[in-house]
Amino acid sequence: MAFLIRTVDHTSSGKEIVRDRTIPKTDVSIGRAAENDIHLPDLAVEQHHITVHSASDSSLSIEAVGTLGFSLDGKTETSAQIAPGAGGELEVGSSRLTIERAEDGVTLITITQVETESDRDILRGFALESALPSKRAMSWIFAGIVLVALLAIPVATHLFRTPVENDPKGETPGQVVFDSTWSTGELSMAHHSLEENCEACHATPFVSVQDTTCLTCHEEIDDHAEMPRQAKGMAPFSTGDAIQWSIAQTLGKEGPLGCVSCHTEHEGPVKLEAASEKFCADCHDALDTRLTDVDFTNASDFGEKHPQFRPAFYTAYGNDNPDRVSLANNPVEMSGLKFPHDIHMDEQGGAARMAISLGKYGAPLECSDCHEETDDRIGFKPVEMEASCESCHSLVSGRSGAGFTNLRHGDIDDLREDLMRLDRGPRRSIVNGRTRPGQFAQGGRYYSNFGRPVASYLSLTNALRPDGLCGECHLPTTTNGRADVMPVNLPDRFLHQGYFDHAAHEDESCTDCHAADTSKEAMDLLLPDVESCRDCHLGETAVKTEKIVPSGCAMCHGYHTPTMPWRPEDHQNESPANLIATLERIKR
Amino acid sequence: MASKAQNKFQQDEQRRNADHVSFLKHRNWRWLKVAAILTVILSLGYALIDQEPRPNGGSWYGYTLGTIGLLLIVWLSLLGIRKRRPTPGSWSLKNWTSAHVWLGLSLTVIGTLHTGFQIGWNVHTLAYVLMLLVIVTGIYGIWAYATLPAGLSSNRKEMTRSDMIEALTAIDRQLESAAQPLDRQQSDLVIAALGQNVFYGGALGRLTGSYPGCATNRALKNMPMGRSGEEAEDRVTNLLTRRADQLGQIRRHLRIRALLEVWLFIHIPATIALLAALLAHVISVFYYW
Repeated sequence: MAFLIRTVDHTSSGKEIVRDRTIPKTDVSIGRAAENDIHLPDLAVEQHHITVHSASDSSLSIEAVGTLGFSLDGKTETSAQIAPGAGGELEVGSSRLTIERAEDGVTLITITQVETESDRDILRGFALESALPSKRAMSWIFAGIVLVALLAIPVATHLFRTPVENDPKGETPGQVVFDSTWSTGELSMAHHSLEENCEACHATPFVSVQDTTCLTCHEEIDDHAEMPRQAKGMAPFSTGDAIQWSIAQTLGKEGPLGCVSCHTEHEGPVKLEAASEKFCADCHDALDTRLTDVDFTNASDFGEKHPQFRPAFYTAYGNDNPDRVSLANNPVEMSGLKFPHDIHMDEQGGAARMAISLGKYGAPLECSDCHEETDDRIGFKPVEMEASCESCHSLVSGRSGAGFTNLRHGDIDDLREDLMRLDRGPRRSIVNGRTRPGQFAQGGRYYSNFGRPVASYLSLTNALRPDGLCGECHLPTTTNGRADVMPVNLPDRFLHQGYFDHAAHEDESCTDCHAADTSKEAMDLLLPDVESCRDCHLGETAVKTEKIVPSGCAMCHGYHTPTMPWRPEDHQNESPANLIATLERIKR
Repeated sequence: MASKAQNKFQQDEQRRNADHVSFLKHRNWRWLKVAAILTVILSLGYALIDQEPRPNGGSWYGYTLGTIGLLLIVWLSLLGIRKRRPTPGSWSLKNWTSAHVWLGLSLTVIGTLHTGFQIGWNVHTLAYVLMLLVIVTGIYGIWAYATLPAGLSSNRKEMTRSDMIEALTAIDRQLESAAQPLDRQQSDLVIAALGQNVFYGGALGRLTGSYPGCATNRALKNMPMGRSGEEAEDRVTNLLTRRADQLGQIRRHLRIRALLEVWLFIHIPATIALLAALLAHVISVFYYW
């Protein structure tokens, strides 16, 4: 039972000085006082700091004498045990006492000075910072990537591009790099080819898309009305919208009547949708309060608030232009024709009998025998006398060879000529087999028709009488002193501000809407009024049933071309060429 | 006079109390209330104000939401500057932090309404996603600060970080001398254990607490278990076990600290990236107006 005390000192040059001494005791005192067995001249050490007792089983017990503890293997203790054979590191103040077991039960205590290691450096390792890239570096890198790739590159390539003329086919690729990252959403299907060509529309930095840019391709588009009138007729904005528009327009954005204010883009790959009833009603609901001089009334819902139809037709014989008259005013059409529909449509009547006897019809007359739909199935072709009437109302004037000669229809002069020719035709000879001799024979120089003036010589006058040939259908009149018929004024189209799709109504019979079977006079205007449409068609918000069809404005009205409603099939492949074709069809 | 003293006492008392109130509850939940009122008003506006043709960041209401959101983001991100300039007063750091948290949370609603629920692969949605990332990491941060320090404290067992390192170093020194009699193979195991950095394992190791390449554990695994009879081997095994225990404590500490700090490594860079994306968002929107 002894302690071998080994003191290790360092010279200033770092050389070790090792001194050994043996203390043949079972207890060793450690402290600052000189009488201690191990004397540590360190102010951090108590005068009598620690006692180390070596027990008989060679385990060591270490006790702090005072209140200050010590550190054993890094842990602060005031009392500790070291098992037999085990060692430990005792730290007191700046001294380290390494306890080891030497041979023969001797305990070796090596005293060294603790190197004042920079704690701070190693403690940094505890922070996560030491295991990850610095926050600041990451911030700069990420922000840099965003600013360069998503801002600087698009802006620079846009500024330094060579502007090209707009390509209506949209096949020109864009020149600006990475600007598709600016797109707030896919373009509509019609503009899909421009997806990678932002600058086609966004031509100038910080200038909103201009109408003129739209019109470089959509040059055929008409304005809904004159711009100043539209502006005046618009419903007032909400405060928020008013502020936004005033700011936006100050900064050069097209106004609320600009293309993009309705045709919003980047809303996904959608087809152009028909405008909603509300869209129209925003202005047309109380339009008369803002535009006091319009000649049509307000409209907001077909079922509840829509003016009576005002077709355009001729209100007096021989008028140069048609007039628009509301169906509410019991209008009378003065087309210049006599035509009782009821007689022609009566399945038991004379007209039906005659039609049955004619190979062309073989059955009582139907509407379509005279009224032929146009190819687009929207309207009807003009009724032509030769094709529709002449089978019964014959103009046959005589025989010629194998067939017949006809009086020509449509021009009084032609008729007069035909009648004259008729008169100059050869008389039937009274006696067969005998002719006049020589130059007096037919075709000879002195031939003359010595017969009495035939009835047909005077028949132009007769024909134009109310009970004459022409008078069957026409009204006689006098033009420049000469007998004539009243000009026929039948409009090709009655409703010019809206549109009616006959094809969509093919399950209905004509007389469901047009009361032709009871019409005795051509003066009856056989157009259905708004109330009869409402049997099936109510406003957009109406509840759809088997009979009721909720009908928005766009079903009958177009915006840019009021006579043409919005039709989805027109917008399937909205290439400009197609659009022009559509517009031309409308014009026709 | 008396009432003045009374006032002073009350003020001091109030101040003392306030010092121990969580920044979340600061001033009786003032910023929670502000954020809640802001959120409710803006949500009601979104629901009740009709935006034609559909809600969109470019409608007047969208611009309003966007402006409020932008100002909030810029202001809240200034906490990073404010906290480095200690200035007490009514705009105390606690006040700032309280506002930072509650208004930051309200940005989830304001930002989402500003998008009009139109999301895509573009710089605009990038800004929105970065904003959400910042907010989510912030929420995690609050959870971490509220729950993890207790574990940190209990793991310490009254040891400071330097104590832990010191303890390990002490064990290491003993290991080195105890390992002297060992054969080559075992010596190499000990050398590897001693040579491995205390903080070995990287961020992932810290966060998961999993250190598959730990040389101390490997050495332990390859040392004879139990009493082998060889005194030196037993002593080394004993010391290696102590080393592993000490490393375990350090690593638990590291794990808790990593969990406590990791959100900042997303929160801060994402915030700066968000500010950059916001700049790109605002400029691009008006550049291609």
